[in-house]
Formats: sequence, C-alpha cells, structure tokens
Amino acid sequence: MEYKNILTTCPYCGAGCGFYLQVIDGELVGVLPCKSHPVSQGKLCIKGWNAHEFVGSPDRLTKPLIKRDTGFTVASWDEALSTVAKKFKECEESHGPDSFAVLSSAKCTNEENYLMMKFTRAVLGTNNIDHCARLCHASTVVGLVQSFGSGAMTNSIRELEDADCILIIGSNTAEQHPLIARYILRAKEKGAKLIVVDPRAITLVQFADYHLRQRPGTDVAVLNGFMSVILNDGLEDKDFIKERTEGIEELKKTVEKYTPEHVEEITHIPKDKLIDAARTYAKAEHASIIYSMGITQHTTGVDNVISTANLAMLTGNVGKPSTGVNPLRGQNNVQGACDMGALPNVYSGYQSVTDEKTRAKFENAWKVKLPEKPGATVVEMMNEAMKGNIKAMYIMGENPMISDPDIGHVREALKSLKFLVVQDIFLTETAQLADVVFPAVSYAEKEGTFTSTERLVQMVRKAIKPLGESKADWQIICDLAQAMGSKEFEYGSPAEVMNEVTSLTPSYGGITYERLQRGGLQWPCPSKEHPGTPYLHKEKFARADGKGKFLGIEFKEPAELPDEEYPFILTTGRTMFHFHTGTMTRRTSLLNKEVPTGYVEIAPADAKRLAIIKGEFVLIQTRRGQIKIKALITERVSEGIIFIPFHFAECAANVLTNPALDPVAKIPEYKVCAAKIEKVQGTSSY
Amino acid sequence: MIGNIRDLARKWLEDKEVDAIFALREQNGYLAPYLFTNVDKLGSMEISTQYRLSYTCRPSKENILSLMQRKEPSTRIGIVARGCEERALIELAKRSQIDLGKTKIMGIACTQEEAIECKCERPYPDNLVLGQKVEGVSQDENVDALLNKSITERLAFWRYQFSKCIKCYGCRNACPMCFCKDCKMEQGVFTETGWLPPEIPMFLFIRFSHISERCIWCGECEKACPVDIPLLTLFKLLRRDIKDLFDYEAGMDMTQEAPLLTTLDEMPMKEELASGI
Amino acid sequence: MVEFEPKILAFCCNWCSYRGADLAGISRIKYPPNVRIIRVMCSGRVEPEFVVKALSSGADGVLVLGCHIGDCHYIYGNHRTAKRMAILQRLLGYLGIEPSRLRLEWVSAAEGSRFSKIVTEFTSEIKRLGPNPLKNITLQNPTILRDEKR
Ligand code: SF4
Ligand code: SF4
Ligand code: SF4
Ligand code: FES
Repeated sequence: MEYKNILTTCPYCGAGCGFYLQVIDGELVGVLPCKSHPVSQGKLCIKGWNAHEFVGSPDRLTKPLIKRDTGFTVASWDEALSTVAKKFKECEESHGPDSFAVLSSAKCTNEENYLMMKFTRAVLGTNNIDHCARLCHASTVVGLVQSFGSGAMTNSIRELEDADCILIIGSNTAEQHPLIARYILRAKEKGAKLIVVDPRAITLVQFADYHLRQRPGTDVAVLNGFMSVILNDGLEDKDFIKERTEGIEELKKTVEKYTPEHVEEITHIPKDKLIDAARTYAKAEHASIIYSMGITQHTTGVDNVISTANLAMLTGNVGKPSTGVNPLRGQNNVQGACDMGALPNVYSGYQSVTDEKTRAKFENAWKVKLPEKPGATVVEMMNEAMKGNIKAMYIMGENPMISDPDIGHVREALKSLKFLVVQDIFLTETAQLADVVFPAVSYAEKEGTFTSTERLVQMVRKAIKPLGESKADWQIICDLAQAMGSKEFEYGSPAEVMNEVTSLTPSYGGITYERLQRGGLQWPCPSKEHPGTPYLHKEKFARADGKGKFLGIEFKEPAELPDEEYPFILTTGRTMFHFHTGTMTRRTSLLNKEVPTGYVEIAPADAKRLAIIKGEFVLIQTRRGQIKIKALITERVSEGIIFIPFHFAECAANVLTNPALDPVAKIPEYKVCAAKIEKVQGTSSY
Repeated sequence: MIGNIRDLARKWLEDKEVDAIFALREQNGYLAPYLFTNVDKLGSMEISTQYRLSYTCRPSKENILSLMQRKEPSTRIGIVARGCEERALIELAKRSQIDLGKTKIMGIACTQEEAIECKCERPYPDNLVLGQKVEGVSQDENVDALLNKSITERLAFWRYQFSKCIKCYGCRNACPMCFCKDCKMEQGVFTETGWLPPEIPMFLFIRFSHISERCIWCGECEKACPVDIPLLTLFKLLRRDIKDLFDYEAGMDMTQEAPLLTTLDEMPMKEELASGI
Repeated sequence: MVEFEPKILAFCCNWCSYRGADLAGISRIKYPPNVRIIRVMCSGRVEPEFVVKALSSGADGVLVLGCHIGDCHYIYGNHRTAKRMAILQRLLGYLGIEPSRLRLEWVSAAEGSRFSKIVTEFTSEIKRLGPNPLKNITLQNPTILRDEKR
C-alpha cells in the first residue's frame, strides 16, 4: 500500500491556501490542511476542505469529443487535434488572424496561461486573448496602474492582522475569501476598527464599527465624501503627499464638492456616520483598504478603484506594512493569468504589446513576427462574433455561458461562430456549444504554479494520474501548436515553461521551481537572490516618475437606474458555498447540500408589499431577460434592492445583468441594473 | 530522539514485526503523514506536534487507519503515537473504527515545552517506548475564565464567538472522533443550511454534545478553526464533568465502555451530581 | 406590566408519562396551561438537539418526562436519557443557559398528580428565571438570512 500526502494550492479563491491531497494507491481520499502554510495555517474554508471531491466526478470528460450531425462523438486525440489544426488553418487563410479569439483561464496554472498567450500571439497571430479577469478585476489592473503604476494587491494577507483600521468596500470577505476574513477578525480582536461600506448587510457587518449602506453604484461619491471630510479636518498626511505623490490640487478641487450633505443625498448614507467613519480611517496609524468586485464590476469600475487609491495616498497609507489598497482577487489564479499576459494588450509582466522594444524582445524569443494592435476584450469578442468578424474561438476552462453578462447575447454570439473549441474538465454549458471539446485535467492531476491575490506564486503538484485520456492543459496547447506546425512549443515539463517566463518577465525573474518547492514567493522577485516583496511601493511607486498620482474623479450614475417599469436595483454576487459558475462546487455533495440552488434576496418590506413569502418562486425581469427563482426574505438587502448569486445555470443571474461596460477597463456592470419582480401563481415550494 | 525512533522503525520493519510504519515525513521543509514501507526512506522520518496521525480523512469521513485497514486488512501497521494519538486510537478501536490487533504502537513522550504548548494533561502514551514522561499541564486559563463568568456573560461570550463561525466544518473534519457518515451538523432540520453564521448555538452544540464523552482533548478542532473559536474550552469542561459523573475518561482503557453506550447498571452515574451546577 | 407567561415544552414518553399527563387531564387535576406536550415513544428518543432546538425556537423551559427507572418499555431507554440529560445540563450551563431550564423527571401512568405537581413547580421556577435569553438569538442578528415569519 502506498499512502502519501501531496502539498498543493487550493483551486478555489485567491487567498491561496495550502493543503495536502491524500492519496492511497493512486486514489484521492481527502484533503488535509497544511499547518505550516503562511496564509491558511492549518485551516481551510468549506470549499477547500472539499476540494478533492469534484476531481473524481463521474461527469469528468475523459476523451476528446467532436460534434457531428448526431451530436458529440468520442474521438482520438490525433483526430481531434488535426481537426482543430485544419479548421484553424482554414480560418486563418480565409479570414486572417484577427478572426480568432481566445479565452484563457484564471483556473489554469501560470505556465498554461503563458503558453495560451504565446499560442494566441505566436501561432494564431492575434492579440485577441482575454479571460475572466475582465469580468472581475479589469478595473483594478487599469485603475491601480494609473495611480500606483502596478495593478496588484499592495500588501500581504497576514499584515491585515496588525492594521488599526480596515475599510472593506465591496467585498463580502467572510464568504468569498474566508481565510482572509480570518485576519480581519484577528485584527478586530486586537482592537482595530472595522468599516464596512456595502449595500448588503454582509456577514462581517456583525463585527463592524461602522456599516455604511450606500445606494448601489455610488461608491465614488462615498470615497470622495471620505476625502472631503479628511481634507476639511486637515487629517491628510501632508508629508507623504508632498514627497511621494502628485496631483493633489486636482484632487482637492474635485472632492471639495462632495460635502457630507451632498454625499448623503447621492448615497443615502447619513452624514454623521460618514464623517465618523472617515475620521476613524484617517486617524488610524495603519489603515488598510480591502475591496473586491463590489466596486470593480461597474461602468465606473476604474473610477471606483482610483478613488480607493486616492484615499489611501491622501492618508499616507501606502508603502507600509498593514496598509495599502488590497483588491481581493476571486479566482485562485486570476492574478497569475493577468501576470502571464492572458490579456489583449500586454505580454507577461504587463509589458505592452504596443511597445516596440518589448515586442522585439518577444519576437526574438519566440522567433516569429507578432501582431501590434491590442486585441479584443471578452465582451467585445462576443460582439465581434455576433457581427461575424470573429469566426473561431478557443476557450480554455471558462464558462461564459454563465459568467458573462446577458447570457442570451453570449449564446447567440457563440452560436454564430464558425468554429468553437472548448477545453475543460466538464461538459459545461459553454462546452455543449463547441465543435470540438478537449478533455483537460484538474489541479490535482498536473504540475504548475498559481499566483494568489497577494502576488504569492505557489506550487501546484500532481497528486494522481490524469483521468482516462484527459491531458494537462499545457500539454494540449503544446500538442495543438505542434499540430499547427510550430516548433516553439517543445517543453518537457511546466518547469521549462517557467524558465522561459522568468527570462522574459522581470517581475518573475527570480522565480524557479527549485525555490518554490520550499515555499511561495511574492513578486516582484527580480533575481535569484531576491526574497520576494510582501508589500509594494515602499520607497517609490511603480509609475515611471516614482510618484503616486491623484486623479480627481467625479461621481457618475450607473448605466441603468430603476424606473417605473423596473423599480428594483438588482445586484449580483456569490455565496460562501459555491464558486463561480458552479462546475466544481455543484459537484461537491456537502456544498450542494448547503445551497442546492439559486435564490433572490428580497427585503421584508418589499416582500410584504408584493405579498411574497419565503420559498415562493418569483419571476425576475430586466430589459435583457427573465428568470424564475426562489424568494428569500431577508434584511441583508435594504428596501428597493434585490440580490441574486450568479452560480446557478437553472436560474442564472446573468440572463438579467447589463453588459454596459466601463469605458476603459471594459468590465461589465454586474452590480447594478434595473429589475422588476412578479409573482408566479401557485408555485410555492412549501 | 528522532534517531532512536528511526532506528526502532528500521528494526520493526526489518524484523517483519510490522509491514509499514505510519509517521511524519519531511519533504522540502514541509511535514506530512506518510506510510513508510521502505527502510531506505526512513531518513526523512520526523516527529512534530504539528500533525496528529489519528485523523479522519475528509470528506470521505473514514479514519485514515481504518481506511488503510479496510484496503489491506492483512497489513500490520506500526504507528508512531504521542499520548493524544494513542488515546484516539484506543477510543476509535473501542468504537469499532480500527483494529488495534493489527497495529503496533510506538509510543513517544512529549517534551515539557510541547506539553505546555498543547496544555496537555497527559503528554505521554501508555505504551511508552521512547522518551521520558513529563508532568502534564492541568491549568487552562480559557477554562478558568469561562468559569469565572456569570451565566449571562457566558451566553454573550459564546454568542460572539459562535457568530464568527464560517461553517467550514473544519472542527468536525479535524476531529479524530467525528467519523459519522451521516453527520447531524449537515442536516437542515437542525441547522438551517446555507446561512452564515450557522444557527447559534445549534451548529456547534451538536458537536459538543456528540463528542462530549469521546473527546480525547487533542485540540485539533480548535487548531483547525479559521476564526479562533476556543472550542477546546468546552470539551475540557465536559470531560471533567464526565469524569466526575461516571469516573470515565475517553481513550484510557480499552475495556471500559463509554457511559452513553451503557446502562445505569453497567456504568452508574453519581446521582447526587446529576442535577446541574 | 403583564406577568411573564413562559412557554414550556414537555417531551413525554408514550407509555408512562404521556399517560400520566392524560390521567391528570381526565381526573381534572389542575396544572398551569403554559405547557405544550410532545409525545415521543420513549424518553430515550429525546436527543439533546431537541432540547436546544426548543430553547432556541422560543421555549422558556423544557421538561423531559419518562418512565421510572426499571419501567421503561424499551428496558434501558431511560438509562440513556438520565445520562444524556445530566451532561446536557452541564453543557447548557457552560453555554450560558440556566441548566434549570431543563428538567428530567420520571412520571408513571398512574401519577397524574405527580405530573401536575412537576409542571406547576417547573412553571414557577421558569417564571422566576424569566424569558429564555437564547430565544431568537439568531433572529436578533440583522445580518442573518432569515425569514421574518420564522
Ligand atoms: S479536542 Fe477537538 S478534535 Fe480532539 S477529540 Fe476533542 S473534540 Fe475532537
Ligand atoms: S458532529 Fe456528531 S454527527 Fe457529526 S460527525 Fe461528529 S459525532 Fe458525528
Ligand atoms: S472550525 Fe470554526 S469556523 Fe469552522 S465550522 Fe468549526 S467553529 Fe465554525
Ligand atoms: S418508554 Fe418511557 S422512558 Fe422509555
């Protein structure tokens, strides 16, 4: 009998917890938390504890599938690869390289994302590559780069414990990043003040000193309000502003208009509460801002992000431990997928595709001419596909049929493609529309690295053999590249891919598998001797002139506001017990037992007015579509607001959401749209 | 000490006293449980209080040893066990989870520092093979603090503590004594599913109640809790009560049956102590 | 101020205590109307969870009534009950719930007046203790997803 424990990194959220997969004679039998892991310290959330179950699900794809007239049929790898290679060639010849679009995956390893971006650029010859970061933190990448020069979490998770004040805006941390909430609670128990800005009474509100319940979509006004109070009271950090930043005058001009009275009108937050909270934040020695999709998924996503950066710089809360602006990234490797350049405008390490020197560097390394024009983003890809400009798509490990806004539109777009290839571990809603499906493997069956939200690069190790004929994503990409005639994809292992990444990516320059075996490294880690960077912007900012930049941001209303016809504000999000489009968590028995299907949260007053009772099915309608869903009456939402978690295909919130985009980051406005509720007669489930 | 353990493990394997040794292994600076079958690998064997070898596999809900024994019933497994691990094994055997006849315990004593760190009352196994017994620690400030609280303060305290719970089930998962396939904590009739925090006090109460007479005070539940709920405090108090009421301690004597599994005739209760505090 | 009228839940075993309660009714022996009876086959059926569920759903006190030791129709059912309830009382105390909100008594089918006496005593004890602080503890928490009518 062989029994061993393989240390790996959790495949769910961006906290990056470490655990062992327990293997007896090649069979996964369980999960054991790693006690010496820097973040998880022997603890896990419910998803992590159950992370091995979906791996062995009977629904796993084990053979390539090709769609023929009669539906999907099983094919050999050779046939599947050569079919795809042939179709891709044809497509390129008749429509040119920009008729391709590729979705990479925040669930795959860094190496796989790097290969996917290399494949897209070097083999397909287009920059049309993107992934779901567009839908969660594109505004972070764009916004924080403008303010600080680097679009990542500035500090480390553990540092939160020593903060004196934590401001959480738009992050349901206890449910979405439970192991990060651990450090918030620890800080709180050491006496830190906790400010929660959220329209919903999220779990952490129980422990908050201030809960500011803003009208959804008014975050810029709230943050400007904070800053106007701080400037008014003279609580800003004058030395920091003078030495480390520029643009303060512009900021002052903008924010002075946002008096607490004015902010109360816009946001509905009582002005006294705002003033107290702003003072609390400003007076703290070490104040940390945590945010997540609650502020990024808006048409004003970038504005929101920049406003958090403004606030942190105004009070000198950047470049020190336990401070900073800390976007919590949703997926285990969404940070890494961005770092690896699975984005339409940058190569790995955020090196711009329009910069000639950079391009030359990559052309040299890959021995091929590279496209110059930045490519299309996720939502733009779907629009271009609709218009017939994008003909073929290659989707790795993503499920836009649930995750993208306005699913009806996505379905049309994917159907209008000439050729769709999906590479996944399950036959997802998206894979069902594919012409060819490649069976990939889960995190337990391959080697690689994930980069967590705190820029921590960690190993993922192979615990068991791939199921059936499934193959690791990196192998599939290499095989396909070779089938298409490329000589640049001959890698023996993910370690070799990482060596190429480090040679081309300064921020990953010192990262090797050898070092990672003994524990994770936080980038920037430019050289083999560099210990990694727990917090950014210590002496200077990453912008060209080394200064942080204040940008005055005016408040703008969300794209769609409630009106007479659609009187409710619909906001979407997640629950503790499921993850993203549910492909993994809905195949996990305990998680399914906890939350078997979707629900809409309705405030008691609204429910009373509409005579809706708990468990009753209601019809939620927006200008995009309608879904039937179970009602849950709760004070978590306030009057006039409804909330739906988006994980569930049978009542998919994204049938309803508005695909209106942030003008710069192109992130859709998942968090606000106008909706109406109708009773469905005779469908009470009780 | 580790040298002696490795030597003894080698001897047991070479003399065919056991077919495998269950212990901790070090790899790249990380420790994890491992089943040694090859004497050449014994150099990586380590000891540490970090992991208990008596854990239940999650979420398959079967103790790791019983899983191994079920897979290969004939394999004789040697296990490097501290006091708490030995108690867990005894209690598991008592409850028909593992077959002690097929295991051989290499009992090791904890050091004084380890005992203090774990606040362990009995930091050594009965089958002590290696190491020197040290004094146990009976003082626990969490326990004393709770007992000093008034009834209203206690409720307020636990209300706060329980409201932190994120329903990870980690305490249950880490507990060697929680092995029910059909766990009540998961059942919607008792704790409504899908809510955070889970129903106060029901969710955690279930475990306090079920494990009261089985707890071998290893402290794994408390260490697994991401939000630092002092779970062990209650288990320690309950253990004390059960000792008073029935003169019974879990994990000590293989022949002594558990109070809640026996009648009043088989294991009487000290009636005078029975009604409240 | 209106006097506090506690809600009391009594779990009565089918074979003895329930009949004892019945006898009290038939014989018109008076006892406070605060008690609601749930019939269980044996006092051994009463899981500690039932008691806590009762308390957290609004009961101010819980009575568990079974046959006298030796008379249980399942022979040893009430032996279990005796042991469990003793531990449960301790646990309630540690959690901050007065242990005397739970009482275990043996009532035979012939003991109608004993039933009445126990209920009367217990009711006045609970009146003295006042409303159960655990009641709706979760309801008072605004962040908890919970239907208002529960
Ligand atoms: S201390 Fe905790 S984990 Fe250990 S036996 Fe007791 S209840 Fe289980
Ligand atoms: S909590 Fe109770 S039901 Fe659940 S595993 Fe532990 S003993 Fe079994
Ligand atoms: S380990 Fe802690 S957070 Fe997790 S279920 Fe147990 S008490 Fe709750
Ligand atoms: S039947 Fe009455 S207590 Fe068991």
